Order: sequence, then structure tokens, then C-alpha cells
Amino acid sequence: MSADRSQQVVLAEGLARQEQISPAVAACHAALRLDARQPHAHALLAELMLAGDFYDEAIAAATQAIELDPGCAPAYLALGLAYDRRGGMWDQSILVWHELAEVVPDLVTAHVQLGEAFSLAAFDEEAIDSWRRALELDPTEARAMYNLAVAALKREGVPTALPGFRKAGELDPSQDELFFDLAHIGPLPRKLPDSAKVADDRDSRLHAAGVLARADDYFGAADLVRAILDETPDDADALALAAYMYLKQEAGNEAMACAVRAVMVDKTSVTGMYALGVAYAKRPGLNRHAARVFAALAKAVPHHPMPHVLLAESMMGLQRYSQAKAAYGHAVELDPACVRARFGLAAVLLTENRHAEAAWEIRRAAYYDTKRQGLFWELYDEYVEGGE
Amino acid sequence: MSDQAPLRLYQALVDQDPAAAISVIESVRASGVSQARLFDVLFVPSMGVLGGAWASGEIDEIAFTQAAVVADQVTSFVTPPAANADTGVVVLIGCMHKDHHAVGKNVAAAALKEAGHRVLDLGVDVRPAEFLEKVEETGARIVIVSAEMLSAARDAGRVRDMLTSSGHTDVVILVTGGPFDADPELARSAGANGVIRGAESALRLVARVAEDRAGREDA
Repeated sequence: MSADRSQQVVLAEGLARQEQISPAVAACHAALRLDARQPHAHALLAELMLAGDFYDEAIAAATQAIELDPGCAPAYLALGLAYDRRGGMWDQSILVWHELAEVVPDLVTAHVQLGEAFSLAAFDEEAIDSWRRALELDPTEARAMYNLAVAALKREGVPTALPGFRKAGELDPSQDELFFDLAHIGPLPRKLPDSAKVADDRDSRLHAAGVLARADDYFGAADLVRAILDETPDDADALALAAYMYLKQEAGNEAMACAVRAVMVDKTSVTGMYALGVAYAKRPGLNRHAARVFAALAKAVPHHPMPHVLLAESMMGLQRYSQAKAAYGHAVELDPACVRARFGLAAVLLTENRHAEAAWEIRRAAYYDTKRQGLFWELYDEYVEGGE
Repeated sequence: MSDQAPLRLYQALVDQDPAAAISVIESVRASGVSQARLFDVLFVPSMGVLGGAWASGEIDEIAFTQAAVVADQVTSFVTPPAANADTGVVVLIGCMHKDHHAVGKNVAAAALKEAGHRVLDLGVDVRPAEFLEKVEETGARIVIVSAEMLSAARDAGRVRDMLTSSGHTDVVILVTGGPFDADPELARSAGANGVIRGAESALRLVARVAEDRAGREDA
């Protein structure tokens, strides 16, 4: 149970949330000078130390928070991450993630991290069990699926692992984000468009259809796409959006038909290329086709990491590991936080017997994934609410 | 191949007639189009026509879906083979005695299998006598010895000794593992013909050995 926190801690929190690291650290120390028995302040300090890569200090602060309150979940998270990033402390890491999984049993990330700690300690069976547990809790947990794919690669090589990577990629929201970036559909608005009330010009319909597709309202989006195609059957953008929606509904041939048509109509249609490449990649034996399309897409949008990742996966399927490595490397250069590229790079490194570098890439992927989730603040806020 | 073939395939798909679709595919194949090109020259254009017909309203959603189902039924007739053709090259692979580090071995074995080689994976902790026994049993002329520990790598020479003493002097031994990467002298002292540095390197070296061997047999 969390105790009330002081005004100084609240100040430190505000600064930490704004990523003003130094003033936040100073505020934490000020709070602790007044009362050293505030788990909130120690947990915050641990998170701040972690952000600055001061792992030993993060470990000390998080340990102090847990000693003061064994139910302080954010401190377990900071402690586990500090152990992981410091390296060489897998035994402590396993204990911490185990504890966190007990303190917050439905916290998927705790099971994923526990699996990663087990894997680093070469407890492969236990690692796989942890990732499966994570997927039981959340079947869309991409990182657990990536880890299972890496485990499959270690046991049975790339051909067995590659479908797992692709499956994880489908769970990973970054692939859908690529499509919507290419289609110029931004984040979802608060109020979704009503397909019956959209202005009857092509651009309004297409945009509204894209927004509805992003919100998984495929019926509404399909009505609008149909309206566009009824007026202009050779609208490549509408065809590509239709292909995307068919892909999301596992209708591979319908998707391929629409995507082929989109690319036939407009060879420069990047959304068409995306849908066609994905439709090809889903079929066994078409890695060469997928690679060709994704190479064209990567050339058309060179600054987006995901086409390079998709190209790399097709290269893996063709056993062109050096080319896959170059493409993954390019994706990581473009976006160091690209979890899918990091896991892919780890897979290629494993094919080169470079296990330590592969493990490092997986650790970096874990770091960015956990950071992206904003999990510390989620746990912290729950902890604060629990005490008030 | 007739220019009309994609249209005929499209029509067979829309007519929900898999037999007619297969007949079109077979006629195109009989005209000299290879399996590897059937997908590009026949299936993709007919799918484009199908997409266009759906977009223009020529066929409705139900007909589109039903045509897609028929397309699925005939896909295996047009897609390039997923697995590479059997090369006939037999490769033995195993981790050296007292070495249980199997990841590198597993990855290389899977890559070689995928490339069409006949891979016999002996697993981990394989004694030199087992390598010899399997060479004699299978007639393999390529043996890959994996060792991730220095002591195991130092022992790899025992495989060459065992094969030589039994008269198998023509067997190519390739070694793989961290110690061999770090110290090339270890591979030489083990009597290895080459060092594999990962899956791609395994594919390259085995292909080269197989080509050399085929060249010698032709000569």
C-alpha cells in the first residue's frame, strides 16, 4: 500500500514527467532530505537515474523503495530494467521480474521481461513459458512473439522462425502505422467520421475511409471506398486501401487482386506497393516477389524504416542474410527505437553466430519497447492512486 | 503463351471453375513457360483483371470472394516451389563431443536443408567415432563439426584422424564455432578444409565444395 506523498515529491514528479532530469533529481533529493522514508521519491529517483544510464544508482534507489514498501510496483520495474541494462546480473533480474509479476499479475511486460532474463541466463524452456504466459494475457503482445521467433530460430533455424517474425510484425502496430503514414492518415480524431455524412468528393471520402479503416471500422470504410470506385474504378489509392482492409481480414487473394490492380493503374502508388508486398509475403514461395516490391517501396520512401524491415524479412526468406542485415541496419539507423528491426537484426546476428551482439540488440529492443509503453508512469500512477 | 491466357484464367476464376483454371495453367505451362514464371506471366495479370472487375462493379462482392477462393485452390499450380530442389549433396553436421552449444549448428543445418541439401543432424555431444560411423552409413563427403568451447575445438582434429585412419581421406571437413573464428590456426591443426562463419558462409562453402566435387566427377 502506498503512503501519501509530500509536496516535494509531487514537484519532482511534475519535473520528471516533463523530462527535466536534473531539476527532478534535485527535487527528489530535497524530498528525501525532509523525509527519507518516501518510497515514491526513491522510485522516482530510480527512474531518473535509469534515464541517465546511472544503473548502480538506479538499483540503489529502487531497492530502497522496495524495502520501504514491498508493493511499490514502479520500483520493481526500474530495478529490473536497471539490472537488465547493466548486464551480467541476470539472476537478480529474474528475481525482480518474478516479484513484479506477482505484485501485478496481469502486467504483460513483467512476463516478457522475465522471459528475456531467463533467456539471457540460458533457461530457454522457462523463457518460452514466460513469453507464452504473456501471450495468454495479451494475444497481441508483439515482443513476446518476437522473442518466441528468436527462440525458434535458435532451435530450428530461420525457415521455422520467419513466420513467427512476420506474425509478430502483424501484431506490432508499426506495420499498420507505415500504411497510414503512406496514405497520409494521421492519428485517430476524437470523433470518427460518419460514412453516411461524408462530403461526396473523392478526397473527403478517401480520407474518411482511411480514418475508419484505422479505427477498424471496415464496413464504414468499405462503403466509402465503393463510392469512390463506382465513380472512378481505376483509383489506385482507393484500390490500395481496399487491399489493406482485405489483408486485415485475412483475405489474401482479394487483397492481392486489389493491390495488383492498384499498381497496374499507378506504378508509383506506395500504398499499392505496400499491400502487394504484404500479400506476397504472406504466401510461401513468394519471398522473391515480396523482396522486389519492398525494395521498390524502400526506394520510394527511403526515410521510413519499415519498408527496409519488410525488405529484410523477405531477404531472410531468400537466405540472403548479408542483404537482410544491411536492410535491418538501415532501418535501425533511421529509427533506433524500431523494435522489429532490432529483433530482426538480432536474428541475422544469430545466423552469423554473433550471440552477444544479438543479445545486445534484443536488450535495446526491450529498452525502447518498454520506454514506448510509458509503463513506469502507468505503474506509478496506479501506485499513487492505491495510496490515496 | 497466348495473350488471352490471363483473361481465360480470370474467366475460370469468376466462373468458379477450378478445373478450367487448371486447364489454362497447364496449357500455358505446355507452351514452354517455366514453373518459376507462371505466377508472374499468368496469375498476377489475371488477378489484376479480377481486381479491376471488382473495382468497376463488373462482378459483385460475392463473385469476387468466390473467385478468390478458386484462386486459392489453384495457387499451388502457379507459385514457384517454396523449397529449393534437392541438390543430392549429403552433409553431416554435429556438435563436437562434450559440447552442447547447438544454436550455431541448428541455424546452419536449417539453412543448408532449406537450400536443398540432404542434412543429417547428429545433434550435440557427438563422438568422433559417430561421425565416422555416419560417414560410412550415408556416404557423406561433407562433414561440419561445430565447437563453441575451446576444449571441444581442440578435439575436432580427432574427427579428421578417425576418418583418415579408416581411409576416408576425401571427406571435406568444415568447422564452425567461436574458437575457430578467433584462432584460424585451430582449424588448420584440426585438419579442416574450411571455417564456416554463420549460415550464409555455410551455404557458400558447401555450394563451393559441391561444385568442385561435381567438376572433378565430370572431368
